[in-house]
Amino acid sequence: MPESTALLEVRDVVAGYGRGPAILNGAGITVEEGRTHCIIGPNGAGKSTLLKVVSGLLPARAGEVVFDGESIAGLRPDEILRRGICFVPQERALFPDMSVRENLRMGGYIITDRADLDRRLDEVLEAFPVLRERGGQRAKSLSGGEQQMLTMGRTLVLRPRIVMLDEPSLGLAPRIVSQVFDIIRLLKDKGITVIIVEQNAVVGLSNADLGCVLDLGRTMFEGPADGILEDPRIRELYLGKRAGAA
Amino acid sequence: MTDILQILLIGAVLGGVYALMASGLTLIFGVMKIINLAHPVFIIIGAYISYWLFTLVGLDPILSMPIAMIALFCLGIVVYKLIFEREASSAKYSEMTVLLTFAVALSFDGLLGVLFGNIQRITSPSYAVEAVMLGDLFLPKGQFYAGLISIALIGALVAFLKFTRFGYAIRATTQNREAAQLLGVNVGLVSTITFGIGIGLAGASGALISFIFSFFPARHWEWIALLMSLIVLGGMGRLMGAVVGAFLLAIVSAFVGSYFGSTWSMMTFYLALFLILLVRPQGLFGEKME
Ligand SMILES: Nc1ncnc2c1ncn2[C@@H]1O[C@H](COP(=O)(O)OP(=O)(O)OP(=O)(O)O)[C@@H](O)[C@H]1O
Ligand SMILES: [Mg+2]
Repeated sequence: MPESTALLEVRDVVAGYGRGPAILNGAGITVEEGRTHCIIGPNGAGKSTLLKVVSGLLPARAGEVVFDGESIAGLRPDEILRRGICFVPQERALFPDMSVRENLRMGGYIITDRADLDRRLDEVLEAFPVLRERGGQRAKSLSGGEQQMLTMGRTLVLRPRIVMLDEPSLGLAPRIVSQVFDIIRLLKDKGITVIIVEQNAVVGLSNADLGCVLDLGRTMFEGPADGILEDPRIRELYLGKRAGAA
Repeated sequence: MTDILQILLIGAVLGGVYALMASGLTLIFGVMKIINLAHPVFIIIGAYISYWLFTLVGLDPILSMPIAMIALFCLGIVVYKLIFEREASSAKYSEMTVLLTFAVALSFDGLLGVLFGNIQRITSPSYAVEAVMLGDLFLPKGQFYAGLISIALIGALVAFLKFTRFGYAIRATTQNREAAQLLGVNVGLVSTITFGIGIGLAGASGALISFIFSFFPARHWEWIALLMSLIVLGGMGRLMGAVVGAFLLAIVSAFVGSYFGSTWSMMTFYLALFLILLVRPQGLFGEKME
């Protein structure tokens, strides 16, 4: 028996928007239960597109997406959500004019049992006391860091197995970015498998167990995050400028 | 002083009626980003339903309001399914939907003209010619009833949006369609039902205005300008914005009408629309548009 088997296996995916060209052309990722994964790659590489394929927002033209031993390619977003895969898109995932509490309630939209939903909301508010304090406030009035906290807290309402976060640190001050990664560690401690896309490869990889390098719609490299950080070739191609700047 | 209170009172009552007329328009814009130029045509259809039910079988227009509402809800769903749904994935969605709503307005306007002629009509239950006295203030009973019922319906709509699961889905889709979909909201269904609700509200307001304003098929052109000014003032797609806009403009127009003559009271809305678009296109409560 291998130490940990793949929870989600994405292989050789080809996908594009509408009738447009293929944006992904041989993209894939092996996701292991309970680990944190970081996808890096240049702008336009197709990182967001890959997450959209997994979440069912964008159909794959070819390739496989296997979750827990079953193919989930072609399922609707809500069906994939019900299986426990939550996707938080890049920027503005909240409902700006809804209160913090209402946003959390929307996180459990697919749960129709009201009492059950209330229990789950309490659980999340327990984990994030700040959100309880701000309960009645509109989401748009929260600070950038609090908004990310709400976004991530909202995914917990479903007790998901995998949470995919597209650039959760985008536009946040460095101090807030480290808070975001604290929350990601908290997700991991709860046993949740995390996939993040991160512009700042060094920060992303050093907070992850496994890494995946995507370029031109293709997966170029996958492996332990520290291995990627130390690989001189990858450093030069994908981390060089940023590593120097950081 | 009594004069001013009197004008305020009439303005406020009409504001309630206008707010109900505009509520469906702003709801539909919020969820689907469709600027429904045909909205007032549906109001007029609602007015005809109540008019004929009163004239033919003597049913009070307030009692026939639910009938007009349900009939227009169904008509709204049919129109949405037949005409607008297929545009949902079109790249030229906004242009197409504006043109389509314009075509819908023309078609129903023509159809109503053929069916009922271009005759001014008004439903005339007994209270349409009576008045209530509130102390020194005087108010036509018809307007009083129409205003109160409009405000009650808007209250019910707000409660529906605020407290029901489907109301959450409508608000979420309005504010962030992709995020709503990712959380399991069936945004296609939400769009269809919201269109139905919006047109149903148009039907309800049609029943109420049938006994306070005279109407004829082409009158909707005048009303679309009025309604656009309310929802633009309040910030497109914001229900409470439209309600506040309706009260503000109705009161201002009541003052303008009483000091400069009633021809000018309609001008208030057109001028307001023009000024808002120049000075603050996002409206009082909207955020800046990119
Ligand atoms: N909705 C869309 N319709 C058409 N093309 C799109 C759409 N979204 C993305 N693309 C194109 O797909 C390509 C990959 O985009 P994607 O957003 O997946 O890249 P990314 O790796 O996430 O980049 P970034 O780091 O900038 O977020 C880009 O060339 C982009 O123009
Ligand atoms: Mg991206």
